[in-house]
Amino acid sequence: MFKLLTPLSVALGAALLCACGSSSQTSAVSPSTAHGTLAVNPPFRIASLNAATFQAELGATSTGAQLLKIAGTPACGVDFYYVKFWTVGGAGEATESSGALMVPTGAVPTCSGPRPIVLYAHGTNTDKTLNIADITIASNTEGVLIAAMFAAQGYIVVAPNYAGYDISTLGYHPFLNAEQQSGEMIDILAAARTALPKTLSAATSDSGKLFITGYSEGGHVAMATQRALEASGAVITGAAPMSGPYALEAFGDAIFFGSVNLGSTVFSPLLSTSYQKTYGNIYATPGDLYSATYVSGIETLLPSATPLNTLFANGLLPQTAEFDSTTPIVTVPNDPALSLQLTALLSVPGSPNYPIPSTPLTPLFAAGFGSPYLINNSYRVSYALDAASNPDGANPLAPRAGAPLAATPPTQPLRLAFYKNDLRNGGWAPNSPTLLCGGLADPTVLFPVNTGIMKTFWSPLVQAGLITVLDVNDTPAGPFAALQTGFRTSLAMQLTAYEAGGLSPAAAQQLVLEGYHGSVAPFCTAAARAFFSQL
Amino acid sequence: MTTFSVRTLSAVLATAAMSLCCSAPALADDVPSNSARIGLYSVFFHVKADDLSGPYVPPGANIDAQNVNTLYLGYVRRLSSHFDVELAIGYPPLQKTEGKGPAALGSVPYNGQVIATARWLAPTVLFEYKFFDENSKLRPYIGAGVNYTAFYDRNSTAQGNAVSGGPTKLSLTSSVGPAGTAGLAYNLRGHWNLYASYSISQVKTKLNADTAGVIRTTHISFGPQVFIASVGYSF
Repeated sequence: MFKLLTPLSVALGAALLCACGSSSQTSAVSPSTAHGTLAVNPPFRIASLNAATFQAELGATSTGAQLLKIAGTPACGVDFYYVKFWTVGGAGEATESSGALMVPTGAVPTCSGPRPIVLYAHGTNTDKTLNIADITIASNTEGVLIAAMFAAQGYIVVAPNYAGYDISTLGYHPFLNAEQQSGEMIDILAAARTALPKTLSAATSDSGKLFITGYSEGGHVAMATQRALEASGAVITGAAPMSGPYALEAFGDAIFFGSVNLGSTVFSPLLSTSYQKTYGNIYATPGDLYSATYVSGIETLLPSATPLNTLFANGLLPQTAEFDSTTPIVTVPNDPALSLQLTALLSVPGSPNYPIPSTPLTPLFAAGFGSPYLINNSYRVSYALDAASNPDGANPLAPRAGAPLAATPPTQPLRLAFYKNDLRNGGWAPNSPTLLCGGLADPTVLFPVNTGIMKTFWSPLVQAGLITVLDVNDTPAGPFAALQTGFRTSLAMQLTAYEAGGLSPAAAQQLVLEGYHGSVAPFCTAAARAFFSQL
Repeated sequence: MTTFSVRTLSAVLATAAMSLCCSAPALADDVPSNSARIGLYSVFFHVKADDLSGPYVPPGANIDAQNVNTLYLGYVRRLSSHFDVELAIGYPPLQKTEGKGPAALGSVPYNGQVIATARWLAPTVLFEYKFFDENSKLRPYIGAGVNYTAFYDRNSTAQGNAVSGGPTKLSLTSSVGPAGTAGLAYNLRGHWNLYASYSISQVKTKLNADTAGVIRTTHISFGPQVFIASVGYSF
């Protein structure tokens, strides 16, 4: 009996032994938390779309169809990877961050093999859950834009979500912190280069060509990254910062003196918290800066998982009233003339005493004043006094050749933070081909104060032809004429659509203006691609 | 699974093991007490699974299991003239799991693609009642018992990795569930018999797929229906 049982026992035993057999493994988690480390290798692929599917998905929505017209038919498929990496916060805190690696795929020769990298920095986003790699989310319009514009045309795209967003445990976002944000860009670039050969799209590789671009906040980040990489000796093939607040000191001065940009009540808490966490001196308590109406919870308000309109509706932020509509009376000891001048500059734009001539944007600037308001007059006055005593070189009331920064570092802490993060700081100018693109009438990031100042500032510092400045709103001419025509047509079509919807011409114009900053983005991004394609 | 705890299973298996290992008292009528069987083990799955849940999974993504054939090995201990206990196993086959639902996830083909393979070991212990007397040429029987299923060598295929988003680690919980059988025994000659049986059992598992830390899960009821054709030798 036992002898006959043996074969069965052997079979059972063999089967049981097989139970110890290996099973497949998933990605490795890096034990290192050093900045620039790829945390999960290989990274997770959220989606893989071939060119036809991507085109079909874009064509299924009206905004997607419009984007297709600007970006062109996808030549490549795109694999969307969710990259997790380590970086540091504004005060050097180690934090995990995340972002996108978009890899072109397909049989077309320009879609695989060695391809250039576009390192992209996104614009201000109040959604703390933002994941620009997640192409499956309808709200990820910027992810779709860069995928269609760059990845589907053969560029590898690398784009961080930024510290303070998505999986990052940093309790704030280091908004417009040039050192942190450029460092994070360089960190995700290193992580993405580590990841690329391990992905499911390893047929596509890094050609070594590196382009840097970004929009709005990301325009500032892109330029700061260009500066940092150039300083490190890295070769940048080309850069295209777009619609960014580059000249932060001059921009801050313009805002505090009444040119209150659209979105300022959103940018203010992001900025003050970022700089408070990094420099620790923006205020002793938030109440020094913020009015009692809005001070509660202001340091942790943004970014938020709650939609911005809900924050407005719940009274946590004013929609436009950045400053108090009651003009503060400035008293400078022994200087009645300056006192009068500053008091006038702090009045509401368009009011009888306001010294700066009206422009089409004046009504919008005036909407930045109200009650309840966000910023205390006392804080605004302290800023204005510093700006008056140590003016920015681009101050229209005291201009200096070359539009330099203030002659000495400001003493008012917020203005000092702007000075430190103003990209004129250090006297840097690009040594790689650079396109500065924007729209002249942009009410959100003022074009003359930022792009215009950088152009003036760089002019004597760089070789002729290295810098190209493009206003997509300008009369169509030159190599970007088609895009300028397209942009102008786009604005006209928006106006027509609003009026057809029953709005008055003035109300329609107001809505077009409110959407202007966003309207510029696809056209400047297309200009950036055209610029890169020549390099 | 709810009615059979692991402890119950252990007791059943221990009983079976004792039957296997320990000599029973000699039977007065000299009928052989043991039977070893070998044959074909054909499994037809009737999978019912929840749609996969977790991040980045489109609605309706489900899975199916391909039917499989393997080697049947059985040991049967005669308890009395009408009762047997059987330990049945299939030699662990390579089980293929395929995607069911959308034709493609993004642009990656899904429906009908083999996305994972695993081997399973599924011993079943059955207590069987045999009809007619022991001299009958043909003896129908019915039985009930318990099935234990463990999964191992779990691998996500290249296609599975492609739809999942990268290298994927799979885990499947073991299953304990009731089993039932109905069959026919035909005496060829002397100690040699032919058997044919149809069995069902409840095999439920929780699938956990880890792709770069992104976890997707589902609950699967395999609903296996097993046809066994075998030859046995009694001793």
